[in-house]
Amino acid sequence: MASGPVPEVAPAGHSPLRDRFASTTLHILGIALAAVSLGMLACALLEAATSRRDTLALGASALVAGAAGGLLWYLTRPSAIRKRDIFATVAWTWILTTVVGALPFVLAGTFAGPGADFVEQVVNSVFESASGFSASGSTVLTDFESPGRGLMMYRQLTHWYGGMGVVVLAVAVLPFLGVGGLELITAEAPGTTSDRLTPRVSETARRLWMVYIGFTVCAAVAFFVADGFSSLYDAVAHAFTLAATGGFSVHADSIGHYDSVAVETVVIVFMVLGGTSFSLHWRAVTTGRVPYHRNSEFRSYLGVLAVASAVIVILVWLENGLPLGSAIRGAVFTVVSLGTSTGLSNATGSGSPGDYVTWVAGAQLVLLFLMVVGGCTGSTSGGIKVMRMQVLGLVMLRSVQHSQSPRAVIPIRLGRDTVSESVVSRVAGFFLLHFMLVIAGLLAVTALGGDLETSLGSVVSALGNMGPALGEAGPTSNYAVAFSQPARLVLALLMIIGRLEILPILLAVVPYVYRSKDLARVARR
Amino acid sequence: MSWALASIIDAGLVLGVATMLCGLAGIGDDNADAVAFTCVGAVLAALAAVARRRVAPPERPGTGRVFAGIGLLWTVLVLFGTVLYAGTGSLARLDDALVESAAGFTTTSLTLLDAAEASRSVVLFRAATSWVGGLLAVWIGVVTLPVVLRSTALIGYTTGRRGLDLVPSASTGRRRVLILYSGFTAACVIAYLLTGLGVTEALVVGLGTVSTGGFTGRADSLAGYGGATQAVAGVGMFLAGAGIFVVWWIARGRLRPLWRSQELRTFVVLLVAATAAMALHRGIGWGEAGFMAVSAMSTTGFAVVDWTAWGTATTVILLVAAGIGSMMGSAGGGMRVMRVQLLMGSAGGELRRQLDPYAVVLVRRDDETLSQRTLDRLGGHQVAYVVLVGVGALLLGVSGVSLLGSVWGSVSAVTTFGPAFGEIGAFGLLEGVDRAERLALVPLMMGGRMSVPPVLAGVGLVMNWYKAAVRRGRFSVRSASRRLEALVESRSGDG
Repeated sequence: MASGPVPEVAPAGHSPLRDRFASTTLHILGIALAAVSLGMLACALLEAATSRRDTLALGASALVAGAAGGLLWYLTRPSAIRKRDIFATVAWTWILTTVVGALPFVLAGTFAGPGADFVEQVVNSVFESASGFSASGSTVLTDFESPGRGLMMYRQLTHWYGGMGVVVLAVAVLPFLGVGGLELITAEAPGTTSDRLTPRVSETARRLWMVYIGFTVCAAVAFFVADGFSSLYDAVAHAFTLAATGGFSVHADSIGHYDSVAVETVVIVFMVLGGTSFSLHWRAVTTGRVPYHRNSEFRSYLGVLAVASAVIVILVWLENGLPLGSAIRGAVFTVVSLGTSTGLSNATGSGSPGDYVTWVAGAQLVLLFLMVVGGCTGSTSGGIKVMRMQVLGLVMLRSVQHSQSPRAVIPIRLGRDTVSESVVSRVAGFFLLHFMLVIAGLLAVTALGGDLETSLGSVVSALGNMGPALGEAGPTSNYAVAFSQPARLVLALLMIIGRLEILPILLAVVPYVYRSKDLARVARR
Repeated sequence: MSWALASIIDAGLVLGVATMLCGLAGIGDDNADAVAFTCVGAVLAALAAVARRRVAPPERPGTGRVFAGIGLLWTVLVLFGTVLYAGTGSLARLDDALVESAAGFTTTSLTLLDAAEASRSVVLFRAATSWVGGLLAVWIGVVTLPVVLRSTALIGYTTGRRGLDLVPSASTGRRRVLILYSGFTAACVIAYLLTGLGVTEALVVGLGTVSTGGFTGRADSLAGYGGATQAVAGVGMFLAGAGIFVVWWIARGRLRPLWRSQELRTFVVLLVAATAAMALHRGIGWGEAGFMAVSAMSTTGFAVVDWTAWGTATTVILLVAAGIGSMMGSAGGGMRVMRVQLLMGSAGGELRRQLDPYAVVLVRRDDETLSQRTLDRLGGHQVAYVVLVGVGALLLGVSGVSLLGSVWGSVSAVTTFGPAFGEIGAFGLLEGVDRAERLALVPLMMGGRMSVPPVLAGVGLVMNWYKAAVRRGRFSVRSASRRLEALVESRSGDG
């Protein structure tokens, strides 16, 4: 991105837009808040039509978010974005959306359990909101019966917003943005680059959302059918989770509540598809051909899931003594759930086949590895991503070849494509930052009182947007039990950092963002 | 003649002399052991001395051969130790002897030997294995890679230009390092004697300190020793972790390079930070915290207290300290401070490039600028290191160790620290660990000790050999099916 004076983009001729304050950050934040307020409003209507318990909380939150978002949207106009603004825009949009998104939980008193003071309620609400928008699925909710259906649906909806991204949504809504639109999407989207589906960035964003909406509808229909047409509410709620590879469920025991092979099969299929690049889905829909098998990342992704499932089935069958059928059912569901960073569970209770914290250590280590890897680039899943792992593996293989011939020039290829050295070094840098953040997070969470096993699993889980973790934060447990209030805030921050793939948040706070022009000038000189 | 053979002969000479001395020192305690060690050591030293006169190392060996030779060297040493432990009956089972020998030569503070029951020769030999392992690690890091290979592309694995001062040529460098290492050992042993230790104990702890091996004559490491002994151990570990260059500068009274060394400054800052974090967070005594910090960062493995009871955050600090490890040119393990510095610089550069893709970001080390190629190679090294730790944790987890024990055990073995949270414990005792788990530690200790590149080179050699075999048609699917058919026919013919 070129630095220096940047022309402001505005429509030709006189426009009231010209009189508005030029700030893309505030403008996009306004759109994001307005979009979230619409979701709140829809959920308030649902609440009013069903249980009516939390209608006021949802309505008031919708009003506040809508007013704030509308004002920001109306009073500002987008300007061409400079590189340094892109990361700040994405970071602040996400942080503030998370905070505003916590309002319904605070106002409804969702976390007002016995002995919970106001601060704890706020902390828990922010945690739940961060977990929702980052599509993680970690929860501090212990009572799944008290909140009304509208509020529970809002909780699911936060996943859905966060899955494709509120910034992508804002870009889709904006009629013009000038330069920087694609960078905005790239900064928010998971992966190393962002596929441009059409020449226009806003059109690309719109198409991504169209695929996403279509995916959600398909998931809802499939779930509804598999569940025996019993509850449309459950189907829609879980479709939001599946599309976003989130992890929230409307039931305390997640998918284990249904104890149904049909439901689990549908969930597995949609989790796998949710962890696949949405650009591939778009191509499949528009061209009518199936492009998946030609994509090396997708093949590796399936390979990882298959190998991990096989290893865990064997370990759990032999070491834990589970019957082979239960071992397969528990292992495959859990592997796909964590391998796609969804985080749903089919455990029917503590010690049941799907309760992976009771599995042998080797199986849990494989799951930890899956939490680190995550799904494909361009999907809604978290983790480091399969493509990056492929590149890292090839970098390691190149080291092997270099140890034989140090001067050899060895390009890195993925399928038929050669990966540029700049992407290779970006991937290596990302891996290093991820690794350092895991260590920093582990130090912080253990210093705040977490036990080692739970903390390790939770930090990896939070950065990879998985949801459930290991130890006390397993699939049948709860983060409220496992961590202190400050530790929960640290984990909430890690979830946002993980969702935005580290760089936007780091670059929004690192001081040389504000000195980038000088640095670039010095470097060029 | 191959570089590997020449190195094995050199190492055999040092090891033979050391083994012989251990045997001689054991006379009067357990004479059977003493005679066995003296004879084996004498024969080994004599054979190596004769072979050394006839074998000259090649002038410019290939990189792959050097790395593969390093792997072979350590394998031969570990097998020699195994045979000696098993042959003298010090450890009844061959697998136990293998684990003890591997822990010794890789300078990992893990043991199966009951030092109170073992003869003096055996206890001294165990310490000598770590001393020889440490010496070889320094030789390889300071002499072999930078001087023998003369490859700037390997700069990330070596000590760079500052090495030229100590090591003007391979033979001079090897001699100087041996003198410095022996002198440092002598100084440590004398210091321990002055604190009131007996000769055998002073020798054992001294050898364990200088080599970062971490063996002592007691089951509770240094917990039962006096404050003066612990203080000497702390200073000794610091110098051992700081590396042979720091010892060289101090021996020559040159303070300027000390101040100018970026790596040394970082090493000290990290030590102080780790100590302060542990002391302030849990109210642990500054002395104990400092001792454990330096023990972890130098990857020695000495302990003055059961630190696994200190709480989770402090154990994570120690884990990270061991992961970062010691300075380049030391006998310690871990990622090495220098590499971590360079990787951080590289990551910072990536952040900067996000803002300006055309920015030219230079990563410097002392007075040298590193090429992108070197940084890429370091990245590959880091990935390999993490993979080794991950595979190790998986191996331990599958063999029955708890989740935390697996992760901690793997990190601890790969960094050659030794003690670990979980089954192994603060004093590195392997008695409570199952046989399969102990055996799983052996490749981890060796991979970590060799600092990964030789492992990669070994994998590379296997890959090349496999490719050549495929090219010759020995491993093609068609030839395999043909062989299978022939086998089936011969079986049916027999039937």
